[in-house]
Amino acid sequence: MTLFTKVGCGKCEYVKERVDLAALGVAVEELGPENPDALAHLAWHGLVNVAESNLPILVLEDSSYLTGAVQIRKYLEGLGGQAA
Amino acid sequence: MGEVMELNRGGPVPRDSDATDRVLFVRTSDMEIVNWDRSRIVEALVRETFLDRDTAERVAEAVDQMIHRSRIQVLTAPLIRELVDAKLIEMGLESARRMHTRLGMPLYDVEELLVAPNRENANVPHGPEATNLTLAENIKKEYALLAVFSQEVADAHMRGDLHLHDLGFIDRPYCSGQSLEYLKRFGLNLPNSLANARPAKHPEVLLAHMVKFSAALQSNFAGAIGWDAVNLFFAPYLEGLPDRDVEQLAQMLIFEYSQQAVARGGQAIFSDINLYWEVPKHFQDVPAIGPGGEYTGKTYGDYEKEAQRFLWKLFDVYAEGDASGRPFFFPKPLVHITEKFFQTEGHERFLHRICEVAAEKGNTYFVFDRGDTAKISECCRLAFKLEKSDLEDAKQPWRMRYSALQNVTLNLPRIAYRAGGDDTRLFQQLTERMELAAQAHLQKKAFIERLLSQGERGPLSLLTMNRDGQPYLRMHRVSYLLGMVGLNEMVKIHTGQELHGSEEAFRFGLKVIAHMKLTADKLARKHGMHFVLEQTPAESTAYRFAKLDLKYYSPAAGSAVRGDVARGEVYYTNSTQLHVGSPTNPVDRVRLEGLFHPLIEAGAITHLWLGEERPHPESLARFVMKIFRNTHNDQVAFSPEFTTCVACARTSRGLSETCPHCGSDEVEGITRITGYFTKISSWNKGKIGELHDRQRTAGYFSGAPSAGAGAAEA
Repeated sequence: MTLFTKVGCGKCEYVKERVDLAALGVAVEELGPENPDALAHLAWHGLVNVAESNLPILVLEDSSYLTGAVQIRKYLEGLGGQAA
Repeated sequence: MGEVMELNRGGPVPRDSDATDRVLFVRTSDMEIVNWDRSRIVEALVRETFLDRDTAERVAEAVDQMIHRSRIQVLTAPLIRELVDAKLIEMGLESARRMHTRLGMPLYDVEELLVAPNRENANVPHGPEATNLTLAENIKKEYALLAVFSQEVADAHMRGDLHLHDLGFIDRPYCSGQSLEYLKRFGLNLPNSLANARPAKHPEVLLAHMVKFSAALQSNFAGAIGWDAVNLFFAPYLEGLPDRDVEQLAQMLIFEYSQQAVARGGQAIFSDINLYWEVPKHFQDVPAIGPGGEYTGKTYGDYEKEAQRFLWKLFDVYAEGDASGRPFFFPKPLVHITEKFFQTEGHERFLHRICEVAAEKGNTYFVFDRGDTAKISECCRLAFKLEKSDLEDAKQPWRMRYSALQNVTLNLPRIAYRAGGDDTRLFQQLTERMELAAQAHLQKKAFIERLLSQGERGPLSLLTMNRDGQPYLRMHRVSYLLGMVGLNEMVKIHTGQELHGSEEAFRFGLKVIAHMKLTADKLARKHGMHFVLEQTPAESTAYRFAKLDLKYYSPAAGSAVRGDVARGEVYYTNSTQLHVGSPTNPVDRVRLEGLFHPLIEAGAITHLWLGEERPHPESLARFVMKIFRNTHNDQVAFSPEFTTCVACARTSRGLSETCPHCGSDEVEGITRITGYFTKISSWNKGKIGELHDRQRTAGYFSGAPSAGAGAAEA
């Protein structure tokens, strides 16, 4: 799974603070002006337009995705990823 | 100007000439014969360069001696200037030589031009007016490279590191998109016009204004002239008109644009009409302007049925083609597919109709505006995405006019040759090239602003006219295009595989374009200019880059360029597209190419080459719906091929050596080149090479959907 975030995104911080992403093996891709890899990865999943107004985005193993900080948190907590 | 034009020995002797000049006389550009006078060289040097008079006199004296020593019988103005320039170089005065350069063309080239067709742009026919255009373009190109752009930028263009588009139109912006509402509200009221017209009261007059204004705009822009929501903005003029009259108007609109090239003798107006089945959300509640420029008391939302009636008639005309059954080359119909399209009554029938036209004639461009996206499209794929402030402007639609000032394209394969497989070097060079391209934009912007500063008395008076509180060309809303050619070959050189070859190769291609997008964003912030990526159509650039790379980067380039090297029919793949010959099925091509499109704000497209195939309209319709729902592709066009017979004036499907109707070999092949239909005989060699390589859809869409055609699987 990959969580797409960006600097200064309050909702992204909300998920990162509340979920132990490392424990769940969730890779974090931080979008920004110096990170073409993250943008290319986002484009590969066809989520460039979604990211314009809907960060964070969690891309699941089957390439489907979730948006909305609360929804993502709940989904990840359901997998046992609550932060200590 | 009094420039020295020609110097002969013998002939009539002016009475006051001295001993040396007694055998020399000079023909000036003012068409008179005067004494040979070397002070004319001095005056020219002082006027045109920064040389002081003493130095200029030394140069003139040296040239004078050279001329007399040489015993040359006939001297021409270019030769005198060359001698002066040679002397300037000899004396180490390089800067002065540069400023003293004479622009023009060799005699041989002019003769070639007058008798051989121009193949840089298939949209320019051969004729006296067209050769005038080319002659002027050549001089302006030279001027641009010497006087508008820095030497670093000009040299990068000459080497083929990048391409500065439309140098021959250096004194104009690139493309323009606008609204009919401007004409409806202000009439045809142009600077320097011999007669001004009030807002049209009748639809055919509005059409005449539109076509004439397009021609005026064409002479002020280098490229395409696009019009937004044409069927909707005509609608208030059509209320109460019988169907036959609406049909006639549709026919007039298409023929008027199609036949402009013949009438004017120069380049056809590269014209695009944006069309909507639904009333776009941003125009729904906008007060409608009707005959005489008066508000009708209704909103555009009330004109949906009239707009649809006109739209239907336009496609009836496209379906029929011209008198020989050929597809119309212009204006290109760009149909926007939006969420609202699918919620609007009758959309199924209309979609079927435009797919029928796409299948039969190939005209329909499908433009996908998903979510809240709205845009004006034009040219081969250029799009002006409407921002929040533009949607605010939509309340007064005449304000909606957009332009791209220039297009600069990067030669991506060359960066890969020079990177030698090293990622860091590749991305560093990519950044440097983009920074240089930004410099080119800054330099063109400064030049255009210099012309605009002269206002309505200057050369760009049309663009400075102020009818609504701001100049026609709204510089604050101008885009600066950064294009690319040959991503596919760049990836192949760098990774060993083409874009379609592996996921790794494809994702590397995405990273290159992501890097370009982020760099464009950075440049935009740095310079306060709207730098955006565009898929360059590259009608001649893809050929030029391949030729130059074969020259400078062989043997590596020998295996990277596409086409037939032995025949000189070489090219690189356009922009970010998969190679035209890759064995990728249409569904995957649309999906994969579409992954690049959200990174390319100023326009991207996928071409599907139908060849001889005559698709089932329903199969295409289902395909189009699935493109909208399941991919990120911005625009799709389907391109059939035709053979038209000069002898019997009939048109048949596919490319044939002889006419299948009468057997004549006087035939012309027609298909889409980069974004428009044209005769293949006018194509450059690179595009001919591409045509041979194109992978046709080969029956993919031929069956009805129920027969299990793959089209349904997007």
